[in-house]
Amino acid sequence: MFGYVRPAQERLTQEQQNLFSGMYCGLCHTLQRRYGLAARMILNYDLTFLAILLDEGEPCSLCHKKCIMHPLKKRPCAQPTTALDKAADYSVILTWWQLRDGVADHGFWGGLKYRAASWLLRGAYRKACAAQPEFDENTRRQLEELSALERENCPSIDRAADTFARLLSGASDGITDPIRRRILQQLLYHLGRWIYLADAADDLKKDVRSGSYNPLPLRFEVKNGELMPESRQQLAATMDRSAEAMAAAFELGDFGEWTDIIQSVVYEGLYAVGNAVLNGTFRKRRKREAENPTRKAGT
Amino acid sequence: MRDPYQVLGVSSTATDEEIKKAYRNLARKYHPDNYHDNPLADLAQERMKEINEAYETIQNQRKGGSQPSYGTYGYSNGSSGYGGYSGNYAGGTKFQRVRAAINQGDLNLAEELLNASSDRGAEWNFLKGAVCYRRGWMDEAKRYYETAVQLEPTNPEYQRALHMVNGGGATYRPEGFGTMHTESCHSSPCLPLCLLWSCCVPGGYYFWCC
Repeated sequence: MFGYVRPAQERLTQEQQNLFSGMYCGLCHTLQRRYGLAARMILNYDLTFLAILLDEGEPCSLCHKKCIMHPLKKRPCAQPTTALDKAADYSVILTWWQLRDGVADHGFWGGLKYRAASWLLRGAYRKACAAQPEFDENTRRQLEELSALERENCPSIDRAADTFARLLSGASDGITDPIRRRILQQLLYHLGRWIYLADAADDLKKDVRSGSYNPLPLRFEVKNGELMPESRQQLAATMDRSAEAMAAAFELGDFGEWTDIIQSVVYEGLYAVGNAVLNGTFRKRRKREAENPTRKAGT
Repeated sequence: MRDPYQVLGVSSTATDEEIKKAYRNLARKYHPDNYHDNPLADLAQERMKEINEAYETIQNQRKGGSQPSYGTYGYSNGSSGYGGYSGNYAGGTKFQRVRAAINQGDLNLAEELLNASSDRGAEWNFLKGAVCYRRGWMDEAKRYYETAVQLEPTNPEYQRALHMVNGGGATYRPEGFGTMHTESCHSSPCLPLCLLWSCCVPGGYYFWCC
């Protein structure tokens, strides 16, 4: 997962913003507590959102603490909950299999960074796998299926996205209440579909240049690594359908103190980020962040 | 039965106007058009029933005061015709078993039957689209519906399906949230604010992206 899902900040009160960043820091601390320092590196917003969705009404209490990333100022940080533990396990498993996929897709030199990263994460993965064997099995299966689709150059964006969507909806399996499980299954399916499509659009130029698999040029008209306006509209529309399906599912569940945060994601944040991805501004900003690591670490 | 005021999310001292507003908002939220062919349609239908009952109960309790002029939405049975949650795949003759399978939610069987059929006419494309739509395969659904409408442009069932997959449903937005689309979002203030957000909150991309 890649960090596309974020709330629309202006919709949230200061308290809600603290709650969200508290969850972000809470997941980071949980990753370190359960899996060591290296595992913190896999943290991103999408995984934070997953932790929020997995919360089954356990009260979330914030403390304030400093950490290695923020040594000067104390930040709000969510205290450990079952949802955070589960989200941390899932995060490690997800990242591990994506890294293995990276190793398989690249040659010796290109695969080095994936190999190095998965070497760092190896111990964490073993532990997470023991804690969540079903999720591990499902993730492996879906990513295998995706690799098969990649090999046959599958032109269907839905079929390709379906693998990642089902992978993510597997995170709902551990939910105890059957109705809530159904709601989350649907919500996570479309979250996965949306993320897959956003990522495919984000990587389009790079993939066209390198010849890597990407379903978009097989389905839509692409020129110089960019979608033609009409194709872009069609992709945006189909991403909107997933955002709407997420909203429809969200409205059927009780998300307690997370309601406003999730609402700002499914009714606004997704559209804003989707737009930024489709017109190229999202990637530029990410590049800027990568070139300016001090700012990234210091913020 | 739950407290009807609690169901509508208002206090028992709320005015008739406030109650009407809360009811209207909830009825818009769980409207069948928002859950058309949605695997969670049964839950939305249940919710709608609960809201209608709560509204009626309050109305009855308060009778004698000012008579509310606003009737309940007639979706409590929720299945038939245009406003149904289920999409009602009852028509047609050739593909009755397929329609029955879709209605029962057995998408694998429906797909199997469709793939075994040699008739690839308008109805076949429509039903294929319906199976895709229920799975959440919105792009494929749209293409099948388009073919169905092309082959039989006057069929209202196919037209409606295409209309829905193109975002024509009465998509609910909570108060304060305007209509939004990924394609037209740039004119709104949300984008710069969203991007600003990622600079202010700890984190971003610590790690690789593939």
